Formats: sequence, C-alpha cells, structure tokens
Amino acid sequence: MDQQLKAALDFSNYQQTFSIQKKVLKERITAKLTYGFNGGLFRIDRNLLTFVDMLCAKGRTSGVVLLDVNENPILVDDLEAFREELFQRYFEVTNEYFDQYQKIKKSRSVEKLISQ
Amino acid sequence: MTRGILIYAHNNRTVDYALMAIISGGLAKKNLQVPVSLITDISTVEWMKESNIFNHATDIFEHIITVDRPATANQRHLNDGQTGQMVPFINTNRNTACDLTPYDRTLLIDSDFFVLSNSLGEYWDIDIDVMLGDAINDIYNDSRTGYLDRHVSDTGVKMYWATTVMFSKNSNAKLFFDTVNYIKENYSQFADVFRFDPRQFRNDIAFSIAKHILDGYRQTDIGSLPPVLSALDKDILHGVNGNTLTFLVDYKFTNSYCAAAISDIDVHIMNKQSVIRHKQALLELI
Repeated sequence: MDQQLKAALDFSNYQQTFSIQKKVLKERITAKLTYGFNGGLFRIDRNLLTFVDMLCAKGRTSGVVLLDVNENPILVDDLEAFREELFQRYFEVTNEYFDQYQKIKKSRSVEKLISQ
Repeated sequence: MTRGILIYAHNNRTVDYALMAIISGGLAKKNLQVPVSLITDISTVEWMKESNIFNHATDIFEHIITVDRPATANQRHLNDGQTGQMVPFINTNRNTACDLTPYDRTLLIDSDFFVLSNSLGEYWDIDIDVMLGDAINDIYNDSRTGYLDRHVSDTGVKMYWATTVMFSKNSNAKLFFDTVNYIKENYSQFADVFRFDPRQFRNDIAFSIAKHILDGYRQTDIGSLPPVLSALDKDILHGVNGNTLTFLVDYKFTNSYCAAAISDIDVHIMNKQSVIRHKQALLELI
C-alpha cells in the first residue's frame, strides 16, 4: 500500500511539473507568434494567415490597411512580403512547438521534464 | 529614435537590488540588444564599489544616474520559500522615469524581471505612448492568484503590473508619469476613492489608476505589454543550468513543491534572496 501511495504521489508530482512545462511552452510560443510591424502588433494565427493570403489571392497586394490586435489600422505597403514574413515565422515557431511538445510528452520523469 | 532599458535600484540592508539590477540589466542588454541605464543613489553606488560589483555595473550600464534616495516608510514582507521577513522597500520614485530616461523609447523593468528572450523587442515600434504589463501570469496557474492580484481592490479597477512599462519620451507619457506622481502624493485620498489599502505604496496601483484616469475613467483595450510571467516569492529559484532556470514551485502554498524549468521566456522572480544565491551562475549568463 505504501508503495502504491508513493507511486501515486510521485505521479501527481510529475503531473504538476508536466502541466507547468506545457503552460510555459505555450506562453513562449504565443510570445514568438507576436509580430510588431509598422507601429502595430499582430498575432500570427490562422485567421491572420488566411485573411492575408486571401487578400493576396484577390490581387490586393499594396497599400493594404489591416487592423492589429489593438484594433488600430496599420498600413502594409507590400502585403506579399508581409505574408512571407508571417508564414516564415508561423512555420518556424509551430515546428519548434511540435518538437518541444514531443520532448515534454516523452519525458516520463520530473528530472527529464525539467532538463528539456 | 533611441531605445533603451531603464532599471531602478536602491539597496536596503537585506536585499542587494544593485546586484539584481546588474543581472537583470545584463540579461536585457544581451537579449534585446539595446543599451541599459540604471537609476540609483550614492549609497547604493558606494555599496557596489565596496562589494566589487561596480565594474560589472560600468560594463553593463550605459548611464548610471544617481538621484536622491527616496524617503519612504514602505515595508514589505518578502518570502524566501518557507521563511520570510519584513524589509524596507524603496521604490517610490518610478514616476521620475520619463524625466530621467536618456532614451526616446524606454522599457522600464523591475530589477527582479529577467529578460531571457527577445519577445519584448516586438513592442518598440508600437504606436502607443505608454504600455504596462497587462496582468500577472503565475508560473503555476491561475489558482494561486486572486482577485486582488488582478484588481486594485475589491471594488476597484483593473490592476496592471508596473514590472514592465514601455513608454515614449513625449508629452503624453510625461502627463502619465505626472499623474502617477500626483496619485503617490495623494495616496490616501485615492485609496478612499478606489478602495485600496494605503498602508504600503504600490507602483502597480499608482500606475493602474493613472492609466484608468487617463483612459477616460474606463477600462480600455488601447494596448498593453504581455502578462508578466511570475515565480512568486514562495517559489524558489533552484538552479541555473545553461540558459535554463529551474524552480521549486510551492503550488498549494503549503510548502509542497513541484519542479519547473524555463528558458527563452522572460520571467519575474519575486524571491529575491534565491536570485542572490545564484548570482554567480546568473552573471555567467550575461
């Protein structure tokens, strides 16, 4: 019984650390998906990527005004270059997220979790 | 347009804020690639010389600006994990930042805020004159923070965190800092109106109320800096391994700890003594 209890407590402790590591990783990724541009601030997410890609597909590629996270209008002179930057950052960061998340998921002890 | 970081440090007999500012400033300079300046007082400078850290200070800080040490009766209970003590808290002159900063755009940070990433670099060009840390973001989760960590009082306004403040040196920012000063000088009266405890001056409260007033007595979405990821003072900085900081997190406030590790993300470490214990390893990160 004592051993079972110890195993349960160890697992509980592991779960606490696991959830902190997941939270901190998510915060880090959110920070990296924040993009300051021309006086505005953009959150690089699926909405922004799709909207910008759609505008480019419609041929609206220069002198485009986008609303940033604070709902301020921000002029984007070259929307295709802006799209390139967004996509590059998005894939860089989400790939990092995937790699780091896999490492956390595969770490089966507190020691391994905090050494990632 | 010049950009830079500003840190205030006034030592007391218990906490070596100058050393904390050197570590914090060094990390900020390294990760944000901008100059850092220190606002301090003569006795703190003398202490830096006496304790042989002044050469670090001159390496890291572009300017060391000495001002009169603010007179304050502020006392604060600082925990160091399971133990704690009352210490004087000399922090009542942040309102001078706009006048004293040598930079056009300034990131003002607390000496216990450690910049381990370049994410605040995205905010330099944001077209907003004054931005404050949006909220506290507990390293564990929301269960350890309460209403009074998010509001200035039970019936008061939203609490921003003055741990991080970014501002432009212009008339709007000057007005903001003058308002902070006015609130500081009339703290008891504002405590009556906004229903907070006036016994200890808190920058977070003065800054939050100044923002509330200047935003037109309402909560707005004008824009702010990211929530401040914080390890509370019951938590313990346990180790520094490469760029990774490991913590013991007192997740239920019952002295039951779990482990956590962070890297490549900015963090506010409220347990100052545990930072001091790791000064050598932290200085090596710079």
